[in-house]
Amino acid sequence: MSRYAVNSLLYRLKKDPEFRARFGADPLAAIADADLSADERAAFAARDMRRINELGGYLHLVLSIPGLAVHPPRH
Amino acid sequence: MGRIVFAAAMSHVLDPDYYERVCGAVGRRKTDEAMAAIAAMGERFSATGADALVVVADDHLNAFSFNCVPAICVRIGRDVPRMRQDHAEAFDAVLEHMPISYPLHEALANAILEQGTAAGFDLALSWEAPVDHAFLAPVNTMHGTRPIPPLVPIWINCFVAPQPTARRCFAFGQHIARVVARGDWNVGIIATGGLSHFPELSVARIGDTDSVFDGRLIHWMERGEHEPLQALSGDELHKSGSHEFLNWMVLLGAVSPARAEVRYFGELPRINLAAVEWNLA
Repeated sequence: MSRYAVNSLLYRLKKDPEFRARFGADPLAAIADADLSADERAAFAARDMRRINELGGYLHLVLSIPGLAVHPPRH
Repeated sequence: MGRIVFAAAMSHVLDPDYYERVCGAVGRRKTDEAMAAIAAMGERFSATGADALVVVADDHLNAFSFNCVPAICVRIGRDVPRMRQDHAEAFDAVLEHMPISYPLHEALANAILEQGTAAGFDLALSWEAPVDHAFLAPVNTMHGTRPIPPLVPIWINCFVAPQPTARRCFAFGQHIARVVARGDWNVGIIATGGLSHFPELSVARIGDTDSVFDGRLIHWMERGEHEPLQALSGDELHKSGSHEFLNWMVLLGAVSPARAEVRYFGELPRINLAAVEWNLA
């Protein structure tokens, strides 16, 4: 698991609209250079923020990335 | 001689629309109630005519990226902007309706920083970091349309392990009290965040809160019993979703042994909303 790589990617997705757009068009190409495990890469490719959180992605990032934020069930 | 003339702590996602979306009508109602209590505290703060308001809060990975996460950081300079986020989601969206710039109390911020370093606190400093909802939702809710006095924003790393200890945060609050006493200013201090929510920072546990743990915190705060609070471990705070109580620990150090008076406590499935004020008489 590469906690830094996962979270720096999440941070960039939140703060860099151009990178977010490239990710939206082709996630695997956008993260090709990132130092991720196979599980992490698959979670990003699937835009699965819940899984990314399980893999060490910070909660406040996975809740707040425009267009990608996880929306837990209403309580 | 300066004085701390006001002290309060409160939740900082103060957005009835957000809590209605995630909790239904009860979410809106309880958020409205909490905000009314915070606004009333703000009226009492404004009546003190304080020269500055110290705001102790946390960053939600907005101001600081992964190139540096300071344990304790003092914002210096002459003004501070609110965070800007394109296509803001969730708790970021509430910022869009708030003023974009806030004056700082440069002299008090510098005194906390410089005297802190001299006293053995290895504080970080920032001239540029913006502030997010953790600072601005409480400040704007307290003040409404009244003028906001110069701020001293202080960040505590509540989320990125390893965090500072509860005891260290309390000691830093004692330092703030000493700086204020040496100065010439009347100062308010608020701490924001909490109470229990987002245990273990896990998406799977969103919706869990720990009201029993919150009850213990309130019990000790109401009685001015601050030793057991300083003994809280990082693991306890993480498992109970009380990460942001580290901000409250700074305030407790600044006002100890004053006793807390709960102005509002409302349980929601997402969070226990709270507004607490300290009796400084």
